[in-house]
Amino acid sequence: MNARSHPIPEQFDDAVQQREAATLGMWTFLATEILFFGVLFAGYTYCRVLFPDAFAAASRHTDMLLGTLETAVLLTSSCAVALSVREVQLGGRRLATALLAVTAALGISFLVMHGFEYYAEYQEGLVPAIHYTQQGVYARGIEIFYCLYYFITGFHSIHVTIGVVLMCVMGWRTWHRAFDAHYHTPLELTALYWHLVDIVWIFVYPLIYLIGRAG
Amino acid sequence: MNARSARPQRTHRSGPRPPSLGSNLWTLAALLVLLGLSAGSALLKLGPFNAVANLGIAAIKALLVLTIFMRLKTDSPLLRIVASAGFAWLAVMIALALADVLTRTPLLVPA
Repeated sequence: MNARSHPIPEQFDDAVQQREAATLGMWTFLATEILFFGVLFAGYTYCRVLFPDAFAAASRHTDMLLGTLETAVLLTSSCAVALSVREVQLGGRRLATALLAVTAALGISFLVMHGFEYYAEYQEGLVPAIHYTQQGVYARGIEIFYCLYYFITGFHSIHVTIGVVLMCVMGWRTWHRAFDAHYHTPLELTALYWHLVDIVWIFVYPLIYLIGRAG
Repeated sequence: MNARSARPQRTHRSGPRPPSLGSNLWTLAALLVLLGLSAGSALLKLGPFNAVANLGIAAIKALLVLTIFMRLKTDSPLLRIVASAGFAWLAVMIALALADVLTRTPLLVPA
């Protein structure tokens, strides 16, 4: 549907109210997402307090350089999608589509880097229940860390994958003039989702990659 | 009278005014600098302050994304309340979980 012919549904006074309702709905969904990941983070906190040394030992097995790069990639992609929404609000289309493509590409590169990490951890015998070969006093604690690691990063990667698909759809729609300065709510909401996925990773990064690195 | 005709049509473009190009790029620069600080501080021996520094920096990064990229700074106050509610319930969940684990007799690592 062309943005110019976008009708305002009957239940709304005007386009502003429609946008307010849609954004409020999206933020309510994001609050449930915070709690969805929050359960995993609470579980993590609980286990880290119980097994602090094992968690530090486990964290040293993760790839800090790749983790840092992945964080930088996601932060940059967040900026790209924010700029894309801005461009559409200012009436642009080509640059906005290009920025969405950049966002999707950065998301895919994040997933590829994470794939390499998972592969390296499989080789190292760090996958609980599938290929776990760690020995020693911290072996059980490290296993718990990696259980949480796979749940947290796995669910996060699923979210990134959904985000990449949404970015492609939004890019296609932006290119076909579905959005303009007056109507771009779906694009705005998709950007909000992507930013939240970014925020989750902002907390995953120090909790997974940065423990026990000193000395 | 129909509500739609009773209220004047608001004509401003939907959504808050977009943040400037500069503020978006400065935010990205700040986020990347904070990422560097976070990685650098993790390599220093700060004892318990390693965790404090890492989580503090993560919280600042999250606030930057929330206020600038997600536009909570300029958007409706209602959205700030909803966003805060999400994090507030998370804080309650983690605080209660910790209240339990920190007041128990310590458990041994499962053998």
